[in-house]
Amino acid sequence: MAWITKQSGTMRIARREEPYFTPAMKREMTSKVLPRYETRLACTMPGLHLIQHEYGWVPAQAMEELAEFLGVSPAEVLDCASFYEEYWLKPKGKHLIGVCRSIACEFCGQPEVTEAIKAKLAIDVGETTEDGRFTLIELECLGACGGGPAMLVDETLHENVKPGVVGAILDSVKDDGHH
Amino acid sequence: MPPSLKAGKPILTARIPTFPYGKEQDRHTVSYDEYVKTGGYTALRKALSMAPEAVVDEVKKSQLRGRGGAGFPTGLKWTFLPKVAPGPDGKPGDPGQRYLAVNADESEPGTFKDRLLLDFDPHLQLEGIAIACYACRIKTAFIFIRGEYHHQTHITEKAIKEAYANGIFGGKGLLNGAKTATGEPWVVDCYVHRGAGAYICGEETGLLEALEGKRGWPRIKPPFPAVKGLFGKPTIINNVETLCHVPSIIEHGADWFSKQGCDSTVGGPPSWGTKLMGVSGHVNRPGVYECDLGIKLSTLVNDYCGGMRGGKKFKGAIAGGVSMGILGPDQFDAEMDFDIGRKYNVMGLGTACPTIFDEDTDMVAVARNIARFFKHESCGQCTPCREGSGWLYQLMCRIEEGQGKTKDLDLALEIATSMGIMPGTTICGLADGNNWALRTIMNKYRDEFEKRVKPSFIPVKMTIGAGAKG
Ligand SMILES: Cc1cc2nc3c(=O)[nH]c(=O)nc-3n(C[C@H](O)[C@H](O)[C@H](O)COP(=O)(O)O)c2cc1C
Ligand code: SF4
Ligand code: FES
Repeated sequence: MAWITKQSGTMRIARREEPYFTPAMKREMTSKVLPRYETRLACTMPGLHLIQHEYGWVPAQAMEELAEFLGVSPAEVLDCASFYEEYWLKPKGKHLIGVCRSIACEFCGQPEVTEAIKAKLAIDVGETTEDGRFTLIELECLGACGGGPAMLVDETLHENVKPGVVGAILDSVKDDGHH
Repeated sequence: MPPSLKAGKPILTARIPTFPYGKEQDRHTVSYDEYVKTGGYTALRKALSMAPEAVVDEVKKSQLRGRGGAGFPTGLKWTFLPKVAPGPDGKPGDPGQRYLAVNADESEPGTFKDRLLLDFDPHLQLEGIAIACYACRIKTAFIFIRGEYHHQTHITEKAIKEAYANGIFGGKGLLNGAKTATGEPWVVDCYVHRGAGAYICGEETGLLEALEGKRGWPRIKPPFPAVKGLFGKPTIINNVETLCHVPSIIEHGADWFSKQGCDSTVGGPPSWGTKLMGVSGHVNRPGVYECDLGIKLSTLVNDYCGGMRGGKKFKGAIAGGVSMGILGPDQFDAEMDFDIGRKYNVMGLGTACPTIFDEDTDMVAVARNIARFFKHESCGQCTPCREGSGWLYQLMCRIEEGQGKTKDLDLALEIATSMGIMPGTTICGLADGNNWALRTIMNKYRDEFEKRVKPSFIPVKMTIGAGAKG
């Protein structure tokens, strides 16, 4: 829910020695992103995307590092990051399964698809499998309504998903490469 | 067979094989070379030979209306930008920094038409962007693509790279620094900005906030973006499909455009041109089709989509994205034009992407699904929207579960009616969408709701706002 900030007031930040926001990422930001925008704050979303893409989530320390790099306050980065659902402020599974629950999909058989995935992975919506491979969520309209039920597995869209093919789709997911 | 297009051939889908003019399996992403070989970027060349104001005038004359949902006249919007005073030497003056923000957020449930353009003909939108920037004296364009459109982002970025490599953007100026009617070349930069999963960033000022790196909270208007938009600079926001119409209007002229689509049936501004219509739900062949505006919904369903799935009866259709409300069982013949709202008691044509429901559909469940969407996507700035959307969802759940009372129906209608820009209680139109969607469903299927509620005094537990489930 966009308007509820994720809990942060009493947040203890887990730290590590090695920076999350690496020199390579800084170089990418400096050469490609910063020149495009009038303010450095405007580079927050591209920066968060970089971090999320690399680690699969956005650790608090990474937000601090991004804030320092941009010269904005950590609160501004957290404010932005906590608003957008695509940024995970807690670790998630290696692969994200997002099933569309909006109008066209629900009435073309989405509930059975969600059930089939839940059964296959033995988790509920919002949970991660014990081995940390899959996190299952439901999303709003994915812009694939004509092919409903639709679901995203990481960056790949699957359309006209039937409960019977869910197993095969999940079995074909490979662990190498990025999140 | 579907009626043939008034222009004789597809326009937006000229390079995207689409029924009945082509086969879906023949679709592929059109590269720069192929785009140019098939007449691409000639409209840009023509535009550059015209004075910028003449380009704006042509678009204004075409009465092209925005394809992003509101149907606002595009040319008129462009004239809201501050006038540029000529320089001391009589040459065109410097307009300073101003922006074009392209709305590729496409998150309205039921809507999947911009995706077709982004997937297969990325240069069409880029040509539209180049022409709009020249006409409006804009130097920088940002294409705001929703976060879930991973593939579309890659395609667009690749196309932009090709466009830069071929001298469309950057460098010496549009079309390799071609001399324009103003005597000078015009340099435009074009970038992608990715969203991150928030429907509200489709609202034009929410989009600007996201571009500035903030939470996507819509701004209070005025000032309007054309005066004070991105980074406080004059900004035009247009939908992808709107911009894709611009090249053909420049190439063939406003008169040509006015021969397509339809005139207003209620004495309002016309609905000229073709429109991408994405049909989903209970039809045999869901998909995106290019049609003349004014086509009947029943024609769209029967002639393009192969009729209702399983030969079932039509029960209703979301008009064009859930925000627009519902067309009832007796409105199957509604004309899909910008007057649809006034004639059929929905908010408007919206994105012209109807979701079709057959006779077996539980309309209370439809209302609950939509209520959940708005509750989830409300950005939370305005109390009537934030709280109202939570209440409405609770009430719909309760009615669906058979726990509702007759009074709940009236309460739901009262809440719905109280929220939105139109009643004047909120900052943006999201709450109006919630209002229209639920109110029209409850009114048009009142008997179905009445059957589910009981006149009893069962004590009711209800959590609103933040604690509500879903
Ligand atoms: C809540 C809300 C969501 C919107 N979402 C979109 C969207 O996803 N895509 C879009 O093009 N317009 C969307 N709009 C409409 C835009 O605010 C704006 O009117 C449009 O992008 C202008 O472009 P056009 O004149 O070319 O249609 C939305 C409006 C509201 C109120
Ligand atoms: S109407 Fe709703 S979505 Fe729009 S600004 Fe207000 S709270 Fe946010
Ligand atoms: S409703 Fe599921 S993709 Fe649009």
